[in-house]
Amino acid sequence: MAVARRDVDRLRLLASAIAGRTIEVAVAGAGERTWTDGTTVFVDSGAGPADQVRMVTVQAALVGAGSLEPGIVRQLGRGSALARRYLAVEGHRALATNEVLPPVVRSLVDLDVAGSVGRAEDSLGVARTRRANDDPPASFGVIRPRRLLASAERTDGAVGVSDRVRGGPQHETASQSDEDDAGDADWRRAGHLMSSPVGGRGALGRLLKRMLSATRGPGAGGPAGANAPIHVGRARVRRQGTGSPTSGAADAVAQTTELEPRGRTYPEWDVHRRRYRPNWCTVLEHTPRPQDGAPMAVPDAVSLRRPLARLATGLDRTRRRPQGDDIDIDAAVEAQVELLAGSPPGEAVYVESLRRRRDLAVLILLDISGSAGEPGPARRTVHQHQRSTAAALAMALHDLGARVAVYAFNSHGRRAVHVGRIKGFDDRFDARAVHRLGGLVPGAYTRLGAAIRHGASVLEERGGTSRRLLIVLSDGFAYDHGYGGRYGEADARRALTEARRRGLGCLCLSVGAGTAPAALRRVFGTSAHATVPLPSQLPGLVGPLLRAALRSAETERRVFQRNERRKRLELEARMIP
Amino acid sequence: MTPGARPYYVPVGTEEQVFKAAFRQGLSVVLKGPTGCGKTRFVEAMAHDLDRPLITVACHDDLTTADLVGRFLLQGGETRWVDGPLTRAVREGAICYLDEVVEARQDTTVVIHPLADHRRQLPIDRLGAVVDATPGFCLVVSYNPGYQSVLKDLKDSTRQRMVAIELNFPPPDVEEKIVSHEAGVDHDTAALLVRLGEAIRRLEAVGLREVASTRLLIAAARLVAEGIPARAAARAAVAGPLTDDPMVTAGLFEMIDAYLPDDG
Repeated sequence: MAVARRDVDRLRLLASAIAGRTIEVAVAGAGERTWTDGTTVFVDSGAGPADQVRMVTVQAALVGAGSLEPGIVRQLGRGSALARRYLAVEGHRALATNEVLPPVVRSLVDLDVAGSVGRAEDSLGVARTRRANDDPPASFGVIRPRRLLASAERTDGAVGVSDRVRGGPQHETASQSDEDDAGDADWRRAGHLMSSPVGGRGALGRLLKRMLSATRGPGAGGPAGANAPIHVGRARVRRQGTGSPTSGAADAVAQTTELEPRGRTYPEWDVHRRRYRPNWCTVLEHTPRPQDGAPMAVPDAVSLRRPLARLATGLDRTRRRPQGDDIDIDAAVEAQVELLAGSPPGEAVYVESLRRRRDLAVLILLDISGSAGEPGPARRTVHQHQRSTAAALAMALHDLGARVAVYAFNSHGRRAVHVGRIKGFDDRFDARAVHRLGGLVPGAYTRLGAAIRHGASVLEERGGTSRRLLIVLSDGFAYDHGYGGRYGEADARRALTEARRRGLGCLCLSVGAGTAPAALRRVFGTSAHATVPLPSQLPGLVGPLLRAALRSAETERRVFQRNERRKRLELEARMIP
Repeated sequence: MTPGARPYYVPVGTEEQVFKAAFRQGLSVVLKGPTGCGKTRFVEAMAHDLDRPLITVACHDDLTTADLVGRFLLQGGETRWVDGPLTRAVREGAICYLDEVVEARQDTTVVIHPLADHRRQLPIDRLGAVVDATPGFCLVVSYNPGYQSVLKDLKDSTRQRMVAIELNFPPPDVEEKIVSHEAGVDHDTAALLVRLGEAIRRLEAVGLREVASTRLLIAAARLVAEGIPARAAARAAVAGPLTDDPMVTAGLFEMIDAYLPDDG
């Protein structure tokens, strides 16, 4: 009884180490023997702790040795007899070839059997010729070909919908098994993508997992958010500006990001069904081409500096202070020299910890959808107002020592949310960046939620400071294919809430656009937001707004950390036998 | 300056030849590798082989240029210049080893630029002097590319003045030899610990921030040599230093139980 209650999750690291990749461990259904679907090992709950370790090791070794590749498993067929005989041979081979086999399992290995076969195919051949009475040891568990194939298809499916069209035997097997556990499939697929034995248990992984665990169902089709024709639009945007040749520091950064997958997918909140659609939106990042001589009003960054000056500073050790917690040796020596020379000595001879260093990363997200091209006040378009606001904010914050990034976004349906990097966190803030900003031409639509999610994850990954702030400059008009009205507003609001839960400050500014305050509230929810009629009115407003956004983020972050801590303590309490 | 036996270092590749060639050519060397893989020991062994004194500076983010180059101090009512470790190495023709150089602020690390390239000079502006490096001087810096944040990286202008030697954890048979030699345990115990370390290193790809280094395995083996049971030693010296997360700790304990015998 006590055995069944044992937290098999603890065996996750062991399984992953032996398989050489992430393997989850869960309890098998009542009466089931230990088996795996290729990503999770389901352990026989009736076995003793030592046996459980052996069973997990064998199954993980099978995964690691490639014994359960679809090509092999498909040949095992439906019947369990061949699978059993195959396991009786292949199990020994998998264990014997494992590089990090634990000593406790070594006694299981029959080296004669293992030595007689070199590859999984050989084991299959031997299994075909053997008699049925060659059963594997009980600690090997079982191989379940159908479940393995179904799972392999599911992981393939995660790569892209187009892969499903390939058809073939794999497809047939899947359509049949998808009926019984399709819901499970999506969950596991989503969970698998972000879980690792260690990292996935981190705050973000857990949060995402929790968010996605609400998402059961195949998530294809459906009225709201469904995909309208996008290919035409995508091609057009490509032509407008991608792949600009950059040099120097920017180049190095571009190269490092190139290693990551070009498109990143994000979930979207479906307000009608009250659940997430996993991997619904694809965000494509590019670097817009700088445009020479693009007309842009020179922003008044100086007037913004004063309200922002005292924002979010971190501790730094400062020398030559009149008081402090350590002696500044160089200053003390100088003071003594001055004293001996007969002049009055300087008294600032200490090293003091001061809040001087800017501990703030800001990512500015600029909406360049078609609606921003509409005329605004002072005979300029909304886009021109927003653009100069972005430039002024970025310059002021950059001058004050904050880490600043500027991104612009628009979209052509859920598979083509374009995010242009005007200035990355590690790029220099030079004329090139200003020209990139000046060369932006508003067009296409606004899938606000995906852009915010991408901005938030860039901020988290590359911001590098503990205080982080996302500034969204938009007219608050969320519209795209299948992304209108209440649906789009709810998703944008949701995306902002997610970001704030993770401790990012969010500020939404609508500059020069005539959006009604009520409409803004529907999109931006309880995040700090404001309508600014003209960029010149910004200096008076921006200080309090940013402070409010950062303060609420700080509170959220503390709540988030406290919840995480509590959950960990509960887990700990459960783990004590 | 390095009396006694050669510090124990087992070469894995051509690193010893490359280092000695760089030394003879007056090139500076950057050692890259995960923490605890033997970077410091390698430099000690090289200093012994080349018969040069070794001056080590552990870099931290409050390290100033004066800490490296030197400063005026007061002595009996007079100021007296005191060389910093870098200046001392330049004058004596020693090997100067800046450990974890990225930890130092970037404005501090630029003082090594004129030393690291063909000039091999150290300008000391407070003395108004330029010190030429004595033959035998060699600048060696180390850094661990793994755990640095996006904010901490070596400047390109610094990197390009160096010859890079990449060190990694040794293969199992070599590591067994090292663990058994360093800790004075029998070969079987060393082999078991190394296998545990290998298994933990396979987790690296899936998220553990740092993996079990050779140094951790040696520490565990030394506890074993003191009579601590193997499992308890590994829990204290391997699992404990690697993580604070209770879930991960439980997983590591489970691995330790699977790889090490229960002898107490």
